[in-house]
Amino acid sequence: MIYLDNNATTALEPEVLDEMMPWLGGTPGNPSSIHSFGQETRRAIDRARTRVARFIGAQPEELVFTSGGTEADNLALFGAVAASGTTTPHVVTTIIEHQAVINPCRHIEKAGGVVAWAPIDANGLIRPEDTIALFKDDTLLVSVMLANNDIGTIQPVRELSNATRERGILLHTDAVQAAGKIEIDVKKLGVDLLSLSAHKLYGPKGVGILYVRKGIRLKPLVFGGHQERGLRPGTENVAGIVGFGKACEIAGARLAADAARMETMRSAFETAICERIAGTTINGLNAPRLPNTSNLSFEGIDGEALVINLDLMGLAASTGAACSSAENEPSHVLAAMGRSPAEARSSVRFSFGRHNAEEDVARAIELVAQTVQQLRECRQ
Amino acid sequence: MSHAPFSGLESSEPRRVVVAMSGGVDSSIAAALLKQAGHDVIGATLKLQECHDAQGSRSCCGVDGIARAREVAGQLDIRHYVIDCVREFEREILRPAWDEYSNGRTPSPCLICNERIKFGQLLTWSKRIGASFVATGHYARIEPIADGQHMLLRGLDTGKDQSYFLAGLTSRQLSALLFPIGHLTKAEVRNIGRSMGLSTAETHDSQDACLVAPGQSFAEMLRERFGAVMPEGVVINDTGDVIGQHKGIHHFTVGQRRGLGISYSSRLWVRAIRAADNTVVVTSREDALLSQRLAARGMNWLIPPPAGDDTFECQVQIRYQHRPAKATATLRNDGAVAVSFHKPVRAITPGQAAVFYDGDKVLGRGWIYAE
Repeated sequence: MIYLDNNATTALEPEVLDEMMPWLGGTPGNPSSIHSFGQETRRAIDRARTRVARFIGAQPEELVFTSGGTEADNLALFGAVAASGTTTPHVVTTIIEHQAVINPCRHIEKAGGVVAWAPIDANGLIRPEDTIALFKDDTLLVSVMLANNDIGTIQPVRELSNATRERGILLHTDAVQAAGKIEIDVKKLGVDLLSLSAHKLYGPKGVGILYVRKGIRLKPLVFGGHQERGLRPGTENVAGIVGFGKACEIAGARLAADAARMETMRSAFETAICERIAGTTINGLNAPRLPNTSNLSFEGIDGEALVINLDLMGLAASTGAACSSAENEPSHVLAAMGRSPAEARSSVRFSFGRHNAEEDVARAIELVAQTVQQLRECRQ
Repeated sequence: MSHAPFSGLESSEPRRVVVAMSGGVDSSIAAALLKQAGHDVIGATLKLQECHDAQGSRSCCGVDGIARAREVAGQLDIRHYVIDCVREFEREILRPAWDEYSNGRTPSPCLICNERIKFGQLLTWSKRIGASFVATGHYARIEPIADGQHMLLRGLDTGKDQSYFLAGLTSRQLSALLFPIGHLTKAEVRNIGRSMGLSTAETHDSQDACLVAPGQSFAEMLRERFGAVMPEGVVINDTGDVIGQHKGIHHFTVGQRRGLGISYSSRLWVRAIRAADNTVVVTSREDALLSQRLAARGMNWLIPPPAGDDTFECQVQIRYQHRPAKATATLRNDGAVAVSFHKPVRAITPGQAAVFYDGDKVLGRGWIYAE
């Protein structure tokens, strides 16, 4: 099997697992205990916190460990709303966010708040000036993803930060898909809040962080002990946090090399596919893109049928939209780019990763070309 | 170990076959037998409802079924995909079923689901992934007849036969279908499951009744779902006297005895539901439910009646749990069929399917309507 679905999740790095093992099978330490067991565990968490902080240019005390990217996004949005004192806030976001931002925003709307949804252009990018035009005097928070999970376009988040700072608006970015693929520096981005997830960068599932810039006040969504400064109570997922720290350390050290390698593979893949398969469109081609993500539309092809046929042939890819019936909505991202439902349904996402070998690329090209041709013949 | 061969693919070279897996024992064994025969088996489960709609349902089509099917696919080491048909199910099955109830008829959602959703969607889907056949765990048999045509027969386990639910399929559809357990009894199927150590060997029968949640009527579930307000009305007896009130005609079906909500000096049965004046007619004479005639329209013929002869002898089944009754059928010019039973049958219900048989052979299916 060839795995080209690294935007869905990545394989745990063996070195990460090695660091996690003592915390899965070893001492019983609760990091909040005062004895030596507790102290050792607390040190492990501190070390991990420092590693993750260094990875995004933050201070360790600015991080809140969560159960993953979704919880981090929810804490950013609802935590900010809860701290604002209003139950009917004004929020600005985009129509191409992950569901972990879209659905909290819909919830805010249902509860009486107002959400302005920034559009994207045909290249899959928001326009900073159009997005800033949506800001109002009482806007509480702006949430714009750093890189889109479906098509990999990198959004101009930093071009919003002057405007948000001037107006005293909180700027949140969901950086889950960007991590390990492009540099992330909270200072350069100028964001107040940033979400990350470990399992997208060869760490374990079930752990993430929300970066909360020093001085920003949030309120917790769950209540309990003092852990994570009371913003995320509950005994820490020690093994997960330790693994996350190691994964960030590796990703930071390998970032340039990983990105260059993935981009080489992606480029070879796209060039060959476009040469061999007529009617192929590279979605997001004219925008800055993550180096690993290739979202392709194949004229006249049903994306889901292609994904299943590829799976049966030994290649794992994905459709943007995780639904399968002919009349289900196609990718909301491609729809937002102005693609017709038929075009959107004909798209498949291939996402490369650190563990792909060069021969995977050649084999993948072969399988995709063959399968698209078969599906087209079968329609005639 | 090997098991008895099944109709359709006994001597075939390996083919790609999509098996509709409900998570129950029957479809699991269908998949297992095909796999054992060396075919390239792919499991598929139709998702018909969202999780929150399936609460408390022990049904074959519920989300719990998807998880069980996935588990079995893992045990058989085959791929398994979920096909999302939630919208089609709502539009093609639930909506029309409610329209039937609200018009005083009793719908047959399972037959329509088989025709339009299960086999319709599965056959389309399987073609897209290059499969030659779709198989299910129904107790029915398919046999070839002349000219590449196929006919549908009752399952050999007469107690489990499901041909009634499949009688709306077309001969063309049948030629791409396999029923690998149609020649087995339920007991044999369970034994195969046990001998293979399959986790679903002991699951309850799901039948085709995938919508019935415990403690809830299907009709009332639909009413809530579509937010319909059903007017109250009166219940009258044979002589036209008002003997009670009802809370919506959708609560009733012809032949029903329980749950009428009326205290009366004797037992009562629903004799008719009159949507036009929102009235339920009951009778205290059970034999008033007996009738010797019905009319069926929207016929689907699997074995067309002999040409030049508009009248033929057959057996007609008017419900799933009904013993087929001998009848004389007469074709009308408009394509409908008039059925004259040799002996009276009980509670002929508009909206239900009438399935025409010649012994084990399914001749066709029509919808009972009130003339």
